[in-house]
Amino acid sequence: KKVNMAAAEKSTKERLLSVLDDLEVLSRELIEMLALSRSQKMPQPGEDTQILELLVQRDKEFQELMEVAQQQGKVHQEMQLLEKEVEKRDSDIQQLQKQLKEAEHILATAVYQAKEKLKSIERARKGSISSEEIIKYAHRISASNAVCAPLNWVPGDPRRPYPTDLEMRSGMLGHMANLSTNGVNGHLPGDALAAGRLPDVLTPHYPWQSSDVSVGMLPPHHGNDFGLEPPGHNKENEDDVEAMSTDSSSSSSDSD
Amino acid sequence: MESGGAGITEEQARNRFQLELEFVQCLANPNYLNFLAQRGILRDRSFINYLKYLLYWKEPEYAKFLKYPHCLHMLELLQYEHFRKELVNAQCAKFIDEQQLLHWQHYSRKRMRLQQALAEQTQAQPQTAPPHGNAAAK
Repeated sequence: KKVNMAAAEKSTKERLLSVLDDLEVLSRELIEMLALSRSQKMPQPGEDTQILELLVQRDKEFQELMEVAQQQGKVHQEMQLLEKEVEKRDSDIQQLQKQLKEAEHILATAVYQAKEKLKSIERARKGSISSEEIIKYAHRISASNAVCAPLNWVPGDPRRPYPTDLEMRSGMLGHMANLSTNGVNGHLPGDALAAGRLPDVLTPHYPWQSSDVSVGMLPPHHGNDFGLEPPGHNKENEDDVEAMSTDSSSSSSDSD
Repeated sequence: MESGGAGITEEQARNRFQLELEFVQCLANPNYLNFLAQRGILRDRSFINYLKYLLYWKEPEYAKFLKYPHCLHMLELLQYEHFRKELVNAQCAKFIDEQQLLHWQHYSRKRMRLQQALAEQTQAQPQTAPPHGNAAAK
C-alpha cells in the first residue's frame, strides 16, 4: 500500500515490511533453536518461550497493521472518488468560464457598436440643417453661377467661380486705405486690392459681400494670436463702411 | 464710431465679419493666391495662423454666407505648406485656374449632354410609341 503518512512517522508499508522482517528473523531464530535443541541441550531455558512470545506479538502487530492498511485503502479509494468528482466540477467551472467569457465578449461588442451608433446619430443630428436653408443657399450659389458655369459660357466670358479683380476692389477690402506697414500685417493686403480703387459712389454692390448679417453674428474671437490688428479705422473707411452697412438686404433676392 | 477703446462695437463686429467674408472668398481666385505667394505673404507665420483661423467659415452657420464655395476648398489646401510653396509658380496657378474652370463647367456640360440625349430620345420615340387608342392591355 502506497499511502504516505507524515514524514515523522513511518508509512504503513514500511511498518508492515519491518514487522515482516522481524517475523522472518524471529522464525529463523526459532527454527535454528529448534534445530540446535535436537543436537544439544538448550543453552538458555526461557529463550524459546521468549522467541515464541515475540513471534506472537509480532504476528499480532502484523494483523493490526493489515487492518490499518485495509482502512487506509478504503480511505484512499474514497479520496480517489472525490478527486474524480473534483475534476468533474473543475471542468464544469471551466466550461462555464468559457461561456461567460464569450458572452462578455459578445455583449461588449454589442455595447460598443451601440455606442458608435449613438455617436453617429448625435453627429447626424448636430449636422442637420433645415431644408429651407439648404434650398435658399443652393439657389443663391447656383443662380449667381458661382458653382456652375452659365450654360452660354464661352472662353472670353469674364465670369468666374471666384471673385474677379473688379469685384475684389469694389469690396470693403478694396477700400481699405493702403496700410503704411510693409504690407505684411497678415490682415490682407489692402494694398493689393487698393491698387485700383473705384470711386466710392459708383461702387457696385455685389451680393458676395453683403449678407443678411444678424446683429449677433460675430466672427470667432481671435485676439492677437497671429499678430493681427483689427481692421483699421480711418475716416475714409468710415464712409464706405456706412454705405455698405446700410445695404444689408436679404441675399436670396440677389441673384446676380 | 469708436476706435476700439472699450470693447467691440456692433459696427466693428460687422465690419470684421464683412472683411473676413470678403477675404476668405478672395481665396477662391488662384490668380490672387499666386499674387500673394509671390509677395511672400504665404510664408508669413502670422498669415498662416490667420488662414487656420479662417477655417471657421466651414461651419454651416458661417458657410451659408459664402457665395463662392470654392474658397473653402482652397482654404483647406492652403493649410498645407506644400501647396503654399507651389503657388509661387505662375504655371501652378494657371493650372489650378484651368482645372477650376473646367470643374465649374462640368455640370453645365453634363446637363447639356443630358438634354441632348433626351432630345435624341424624343425624336426616336414617335415611331415606336403605340397609338393612344390601345387601352386593351389593362
